[in-house]
Amino acid sequence: MNNLCADIGWKSINHEGELLCGDHVEIVDRGENSQVIVLADGLGSGVKASILSTLTSKIISTMMAEGMKLEECVSTIAATLPICSVRGVAYSTFTIIHIIENSTVEIIQYDNPKVIFLRNYETYEYPMTELTIDNKKIFKSVINLQEDDIMIAMSDGCPHAGIGLAFNFGWKEEDIAEFVRGLAAAGYTAKTLATMLVDQCDKEYGYRPGDDATACIVKVRKREPMNILFGPPRNRDDADRMMSLFFSKNGKHIICGGTTSSIAAKYLGKTVKASLDFQGSDVPPIAEIEGVDLVTEGVITISKVIEYAKDALDKNELYEKWSFQRDGASLICRMLFEEATDISFYVGRAVNPAHQNPDLPISYSIKMNLVEELSECLQKMGKKIKVSYF
Amino acid sequence: MKITVCIGSSCHIKGSKQVVEQLQDLIRENNLGDKVELSGVFCMGKCQQGVCVKADDEFHSLSPENVKDFFASSVLTKM
Repeated sequence: MNNLCADIGWKSINHEGELLCGDHVEIVDRGENSQVIVLADGLGSGVKASILSTLTSKIISTMMAEGMKLEECVSTIAATLPICSVRGVAYSTFTIIHIIENSTVEIIQYDNPKVIFLRNYETYEYPMTELTIDNKKIFKSVINLQEDDIMIAMSDGCPHAGIGLAFNFGWKEEDIAEFVRGLAAAGYTAKTLATMLVDQCDKEYGYRPGDDATACIVKVRKREPMNILFGPPRNRDDADRMMSLFFSKNGKHIICGGTTSSIAAKYLGKTVKASLDFQGSDVPPIAEIEGVDLVTEGVITISKVIEYAKDALDKNELYEKWSFQRDGASLICRMLFEEATDISFYVGRAVNPAHQNPDLPISYSIKMNLVEELSECLQKMGKKIKVSYF
Repeated sequence: MKITVCIGSSCHIKGSKQVVEQLQDLIRENNLGDKVELSGVFCMGKCQQGVCVKADDEFHSLSPENVKDFFASSVLTKM
């Protein structure tokens, strides 16, 4: 095992007027450090396309996750996919990105636009082997991964964006590569990159997409541990134990909560300097403790983080807020969603008597729910989460 | 004079943001920028009495409604 990990994110837009997307992305974990990602594009759009792409991606990812040989999976799916009676071609095209132990990737491509591979932020022309399985031409590549490798898998809705509108021949592959290259260096997450790419496609279509368009981006990055302290321990005698565990860990340290930050400051022999700058936000200002990367208020800030996290997993419309603003919640979002890969929570279970007022939305049970909700969201983002209670 | 306003969770919900903004305005209007130092603090341990404010070492329980009275009686008189 190395210290790399894969950050995976995708986004789809539907053909104008369709409720369902004819593209489908399926991600299945195979153990801790291997994943199978399948992007399938069902021919046409709407219900028929959606069912077929879902079927295709589910079958392939399930079979591969069970450890079947790639050729076998492809041959099964190739044999299963019906040839459309009207068009005379196979119903669903697919791209498989199989990450093995975070060190090697197998890319299997069948009729989708070619996967764009960026290495050191330059387009990398990787070797491909042509296989013929059941009369279908399939391209296979095996590549050793490096830090900062970026793979961009797309359905043909992306390169076809803007045909007859912005571009005569659609959005060319090298221009898409250039677009992502410019953004990738800024350190955005895979999800944000995919969102920006697909939003751009939507724009090229004049916001009336003539096809389903999907981009799935895989970013190979270093593991980045992050530690969060949230709430004072139930028994104050445990404070020193909690602090020494928290501060002894590698990675950045975030402290959320007023009382919590005073306990931490006392442990470090430093003072808490709270600012009064609200940064135009409705969450309380941040504070500073020497030796701590970020200090914020607790419950209100974390509630905001959860709101952003839920959106990031769904429509990802608020990233323009949290990726630029400087309030406590946005800063936490950037550290957790973008920087971190392994997050440890140190949660104190003290009950603040002042919070046990039915008029205040910050009771003890709500606090504990927040931690659960947030770790669930972060897990869905592909982060490794550890929670310890004190 | 040093005025500290709690910006912890409880006080935030009870309106510490408005209290801070009103105090900033009042200090500006009265040209006291060099005499009054306004700062924030996380939790004074008296959450029930929020919004917690300290003028030098004197504790005050404020709300966005009585900031002006507080400023007139406890700040201006001491200038």
